[in-house]
Amino acid sequence: MNDTEQTGPSGPYPPTEAMLAKPVPQDEQDRTAAELRAAWEPPKGWRYPTAVNNSEVGLWYALTAFGFMLLAGVLALVMRLQLMVPDNDLISADRFNQFFTMHGSAMMFLFAVPMFEAIAILILPAFLGGRDMPFPRLSAFGFWCFVIGGVFVMGSLLFDAAPTAGWFMYPPLATQDEGPGSDIWLLGLSFIEIASIAAAVELIVGALKCRPPGMRVNIMPLYAWYVLVVGGMILFAFPPLIAGDFLFELERSFDWPFFDPTRGGDPMLWQHLFWIFGHPEVYIVFLPSIAIAAMVIPTVARRPIVGYSWIVLSAVGTGFLSFGLWVHHMFTTGFPNISLGFFSAASEAVVIPTGIQLFAFAATLIAGRVKMSLPMLWIAGALAIFTAGGLTGVMLAIAPFNWQVHDTYFIVAHLHYTLFGGMVFPVIAGVYYFYPFIRKKMLSERLGRWAFWLIFTGFNVTFLPMHLTGLLGMPRRVFTYPEAAGWGWLNMISTLGAFVIAAGFAVFVWDLLRPKGDQKEVPRNPWDAGTLEWSHDVPAEYWGARSIPHVTSRYPLWDDPKLVERMDAGRYYLPGSPHGHRETLVTSVIDASPELAQRVTGPTWITLWAAGFTGGAFIFPTFHMYPSAIVSGAFAVVCILYWLWTSTARPPEHGMRDAGLGLSLPTYASGPKAVGWWAVWITMLGDATAFASVVFGFFFYWTAKPDFPPEGAMHAAPAPVGLAVLALALSWALTLGARHWNRAGRVGAARAALIAAPLLAAGGVAALIRSVQHLEPTAHVYPAIIWALMVWVVAHAAVGIIMQLYCLAGSLTGKLTPRFDADLWNITLVWHFLCLTVLVACAVIGLAPEVL
Amino acid sequence: MTGEHQPRADEERREFREEAESLWRITLAPVTWVAHFVASYGVAAVTCAKAPGLLGAARIGLMLATLLALAVIAWLGWRAWRQWDYRNTGDYTNALGQAEDRHQFLGHAAVLLALISAIGVVYGTLPVLLLDTCR
Amino acid sequence: MKRTANGHHTARSSGRAGRVGPGMVLIVPTLLAGCDGRQSVLSPGGADARVLGDLFWVMLVGAVILWLLVNGLFFYVTRINRAALSRRFANGLIVVGGVVFPTVVLGALLTYGLSIMPDQRAPGEGLTLRVTGEQWWWRVEYWPDGADAPIVAANEIRLPAGQRSEVVLNAGRVIHSFWIPALGGKMDMFPGRETRMSLKPEAPGTWRGQCAEFCGASHALMAFEVVAMPPDDFTAWLDAQAASAAPPATEAGARGARIFAREGCGACHAVRGTDARGAVGPDLTHVGGRLSLGAGTLGTTLEDFQTWIAHTGEIKPEVEMPSYDYLADADLADLAAYLKGLE
Repeated sequence: MNDTEQTGPSGPYPPTEAMLAKPVPQDEQDRTAAELRAAWEPPKGWRYPTAVNNSEVGLWYALTAFGFMLLAGVLALVMRLQLMVPDNDLISADRFNQFFTMHGSAMMFLFAVPMFEAIAILILPAFLGGRDMPFPRLSAFGFWCFVIGGVFVMGSLLFDAAPTAGWFMYPPLATQDEGPGSDIWLLGLSFIEIASIAAAVELIVGALKCRPPGMRVNIMPLYAWYVLVVGGMILFAFPPLIAGDFLFELERSFDWPFFDPTRGGDPMLWQHLFWIFGHPEVYIVFLPSIAIAAMVIPTVARRPIVGYSWIVLSAVGTGFLSFGLWVHHMFTTGFPNISLGFFSAASEAVVIPTGIQLFAFAATLIAGRVKMSLPMLWIAGALAIFTAGGLTGVMLAIAPFNWQVHDTYFIVAHLHYTLFGGMVFPVIAGVYYFYPFIRKKMLSERLGRWAFWLIFTGFNVTFLPMHLTGLLGMPRRVFTYPEAAGWGWLNMISTLGAFVIAAGFAVFVWDLLRPKGDQKEVPRNPWDAGTLEWSHDVPAEYWGARSIPHVTSRYPLWDDPKLVERMDAGRYYLPGSPHGHRETLVTSVIDASPELAQRVTGPTWITLWAAGFTGGAFIFPTFHMYPSAIVSGAFAVVCILYWLWTSTARPPEHGMRDAGLGLSLPTYASGPKAVGWWAVWITMLGDATAFASVVFGFFFYWTAKPDFPPEGAMHAAPAPVGLAVLALALSWALTLGARHWNRAGRVGAARAALIAAPLLAAGGVAALIRSVQHLEPTAHVYPAIIWALMVWVVAHAAVGIIMQLYCLAGSLTGKLTPRFDADLWNITLVWHFLCLTVLVACAVIGLAPEVL
Repeated sequence: MTGEHQPRADEERREFREEAESLWRITLAPVTWVAHFVASYGVAAVTCAKAPGLLGAARIGLMLATLLALAVIAWLGWRAWRQWDYRNTGDYTNALGQAEDRHQFLGHAAVLLALISAIGVVYGTLPVLLLDTCR
Repeated sequence: MKRTANGHHTARSSGRAGRVGPGMVLIVPTLLAGCDGRQSVLSPGGADARVLGDLFWVMLVGAVILWLLVNGLFFYVTRINRAALSRRFANGLIVVGGVVFPTVVLGALLTYGLSIMPDQRAPGEGLTLRVTGEQWWWRVEYWPDGADAPIVAANEIRLPAGQRSEVVLNAGRVIHSFWIPALGGKMDMFPGRETRMSLKPEAPGTWRGQCAEFCGASHALMAFEVVAMPPDDFTAWLDAQAASAAPPATEAGARGARIFAREGCGACHAVRGTDARGAVGPDLTHVGGRLSLGAGTLGTTLEDFQTWIAHTGEIKPEVEMPSYDYLADADLADLAAYLKGLE
């Protein structure tokens, strides 16, 4: 570490009042503004889709998610028409089943989660006075994946080929389903889940490393806290579902019987994996939406939030507790009462942080001088609806009551109350609140009230009676019901209400889309809010923040009256872009002291190509076109490598940069100071969670099935397993060695290690495949899960090999030098995780049969 | 990591320096809840699947685990309480931009998380106390 | 048994109009108590459902009060008194309203909820039913105490009133869920895994049960009738069920039996005492005595039998039984007479 002197920041920090008070000469202001404008200008005309600015990608993301929401809403309207009267035959049972499956799937996977990502991408940098997200191209890639996957999945409806097994796809119904429906669901949505994880990585790094200087963790906007918590939850919630999808698709494609009880499998494993994802998912949707309320309420109360620490506690606590609830979706599956009791208890416990959150809002309104506004009206509606959903949630958490109403319309009512109150209303509040920030115009107060009262009334007319419908015995997911059941009048009311909701949305959409050319642009801070996003430029500029401020309070716009003026003058950090690069400031995790002027990526076609080929790799298998899928996947890898090679971790032309206010910052970092390293770390945490889920599957079979492993079963051959461990562990050691030798300037040794390491890894892979070759994965779940573990390790080792070769190529071509070695740090990190994966997988394959 | 910075104007007191803090630390109490929860569910599930006769012993074990978890959370909470330093500062909001405020804020948040975790652990013990069969 | 059959309605063709007309829509409170209770959580007829019903009313009252308090508070501070109120009160509100009060209330509710769980799934007192969920009907076996062979039936559950009966559940190909709201909570049915529950009807009565877990195209049409009988009547009924089918008593019935054999119905259905031994579909030995056809989909008039046999696929999408719409009306009438005669 002898060159740290050159790589650390130098100069005075934090800035003194005298430094900040010094005016910036007008010609310098003009020059730096012109530089920034040129660097951040998004592409125009036919190149517009190559834009990666968060303001563009975030907006596309939000509009696409909203479009899918409207489509899923139309499906709901058709279902309501079918159920309006008993014994109706408006649509067939099969079409009804496609519709309810797609309604749920689209609302969850194509609206709720992407909408959170969209809003966060759109506004998080502004809350943090930042220029953009740390990885703009990754956002764009995630968005294009989302578009392709979403269109593919929704498009299946047009071909009457949509999945029909419900949004939680329970096997064996879903595994036995003929036709491509289940595959479309699995592959299309897995693809989108991966995009979600990409967004989570981006948002966590954004909240931790891209805050403005001085914004310590105790003064960051609550929205950033929520994003951080939700990002973490995605990392632990989505991977189990991806692992489940992996097993599910192996069963669909190759008949490996993971969920087939006739060959030792167990459909219950899917239910576990699905709901370990599914329940946190509800909070993943809820928390960032309530975070919007946490931003609106202080503005309305015209005072800082009361109970900031309480809300942080509530977000973090909910994040944890939400992972102890999943079995409350499985209360009727016949677990011992004592097991149900634990989940009942956690389900009640999670109410407490949620309640604290609401009372903190109430306390803020009490302590402040309330100035009602349209966004607050929506928040108030959200609270009225959400508290009702929360209270029915308290009821449902009591297992014996759940035995009665589980899978009835009571649940349908409950979940819509929580999601409308916890997500839809706050998000619409956010649209009204942030619209002037995004479009520099206001939405109509009058239309907004109309939309509110239509949606609010329609909602309650639709869903309040459903509680009773459920108590009177109507199960969910029925395409019709007999007249004698007596549910007709309730369903009639619900259907009428649904059309009132639709009318409200029509008003809202019109308000959103109607031309507003003649309207004057808004003042900069129309709500008199205190957070940084309202320092935005009117008319719009694409640079995010004119200069990145030094922040010392939770509500800088309230507490520092000169802040905006100084930002505008370019008084703060990174006021210009002398080399024409897009840059943002990277700061330390806890105290946000400046560390790095990070160059961020600009417009490109490569993310579209990468997303297109990745899409092919997921979509072709749906039609069993495996060769095409493999070719498409290979092209995707090539595209991603090209993207990484050309635009990430390039040795900089200028090692240090004058960041303003006398502070000089490095422009390159490797290891834990680099945002890329954090991204890899977080991604691998998610990957490890998915792997842990597959291993959980192995032990689940052991507890759930008396014949696992079956008597007289063949096991993996121990010698090749041992050999595989040895070879892969050595490959890991050499990768680590290469990093050390390279740092120490022994480039030759590092290159030799990077040649030997992939060869060893390939040998290890061959040995591992050899060790299970004699097992027949279609015969029983025991050989199948061993094969699955093998496939998992082999696929990851293949990625590990590509990474080693990438670094070797970097070293040979001068992209990777002893000083600029971020790539090598990152792949070493991957190999740490890979080595752990190998050890665990081989222990399970090789040792567990002996032990059990 | 250290030493490369210029001496700062507000040279932060040693106990408040950033390197001594970690966001992970405020999660220790909830992690204790997780451990208790996983142990409870795991022990009950495996006992009922493989040896229902041992449920009595398992329940006693889980009650002991509860005492242990509560002790750990109490200790974490006490440490966090001292870090918050409420009795000396009377500061309930920790809203300022100094290292000291951040330090106390992290203590404050950790106290509250310890409180919630303790409630979670107590709730999680109710089934062990009230249900005594594998039915 | 026939008396019971005539005394109520089931479904599509023979169902009478619901008791609730559109004009009554607004009189919700009266309806809450008075709704058609055949499939209702709110009109319990079993010991378990009664406990759960009480639990529901307690929770409902609590929930309504809490909802009014919380939203009343928000209404007050945003609409009625917008001035800045005491900061101290605000902080206290978080502690008391957010932590102390919910911890106590939820802890008490949780204790209440957990404490009623053991009784809900108490072991049965004699009779064991084994019910298997098929797509989309119910295979039912009665195992009286000490029996070494079951008495097989289908699509209907009969229980002795006043006794707790054990119900063992299983499924054919996919997951179903067994639910009789008036008697107790539901329990899922899995292929390759047994689950159990128990039910205790308090007095004689008839109710409707329905599959609650989505199980494919005709999930909506997988229901069954439930009859609780005085114990002596039940024993007599069960003895009758154990007997083989009686030979056709009418001319038409005899013709129907021949058509039944000719069309190969016995490949899928069993009629004990005849050559029909199929086990793919429901056992029809005493189908004429049941209260519904097609698993709670149709009534059991002669017309219903004819409609069902000729139009299975239209009535119940994707059902395995083919539609015998090519049979002449006369043949269908004979078949109906035969099956209706199997009491």
